[in-house]
Amino acid sequence: MKILVISLCIFCQMLLLTGQLFFKHAMAPATGMHSRRHMAKLLTCGIFTNAIYFFIWLGLLEQNPLTKIFPFEGLNPAMMAILAWIVLKERMSLTAFVGLLLVCAGISVVWS
Amino acid sequence: MTQTTTIVPMPRAAWFLNPYLQLVVGGILDATGELLLKHGADAAERIVKSAGDAGGFFGFLVHTPGVSGLLSGWTWLGIISYIVGLLCWLSVLRTLPLTIAFPILTVLHMLVPVGAQFLLHEVVPMKRWVGIAIAAAGILMILKPVAAAEEKL
Repeated sequence: MKILVISLCIFCQMLLLTGQLFFKHAMAPATGMHSRRHMAKLLTCGIFTNAIYFFIWLGLLEQNPLTKIFPFEGLNPAMMAILAWIVLKERMSLTAFVGLLLVCAGISVVWS
Repeated sequence: MTQTTTIVPMPRAAWFLNPYLQLVVGGILDATGELLLKHGADAAERIVKSAGDAGGFFGFLVHTPGVSGLLSGWTWLGIISYIVGLLCWLSVLRTLPLTIAFPILTVLHMLVPVGAQFLLHEVVPMKRWVGIAIAAAGILMILKPVAAAEEKL
């Protein structure tokens, strides 16, 4: 049960991260401006991922105290840092790496 | 060739279009939304317990985790709060760079566990506070490099 809750929390943060990137690209495109149709497409994708996130998160909130699943929200910036490391091939700064470890440590303290 | 520039006075932007105001309001609505969602989920749990073996559409609502929360009005208030917060955020994304907007949003989001203790009266053992504090410290450390990276993703 504990494993399921933890995996779902992690999955939720992945969905949220994906949605976040869709929204960002819709509102502040990296390469110039794009058509309204393209913007609408990106927004729809963002809303869809956020909707799935919402129902799983609500299910988690029904079964668990909020303060117990809250630390997982730290995984959002942590996964963003990992994604930047993989996709942009940028070296992760020491601060970011220590921060990432702290987020994981915080979660383990809460769930141990 | 000489260039002539004409200075067009900028119309004073309406106060509610101020991106920093939108950011703070959006962040607070986001945190409030999460607290309302939890309150709604708890309220719905009580409805589920009293419903027993209900059938039909109501039965489906009651017995599906993640959907039964919708039985409470608090959840819907939370959804409204989330949506308005999201609209604020989308508007902020047009004007403010992520390196500024993302850290402020995340710091405001840390109000959630405080609200859970003082508004929802959740019992939080000391060990859990320590874990939350460690995770929060980690978040604060990653924020700046992450926001800079997200701009490029």
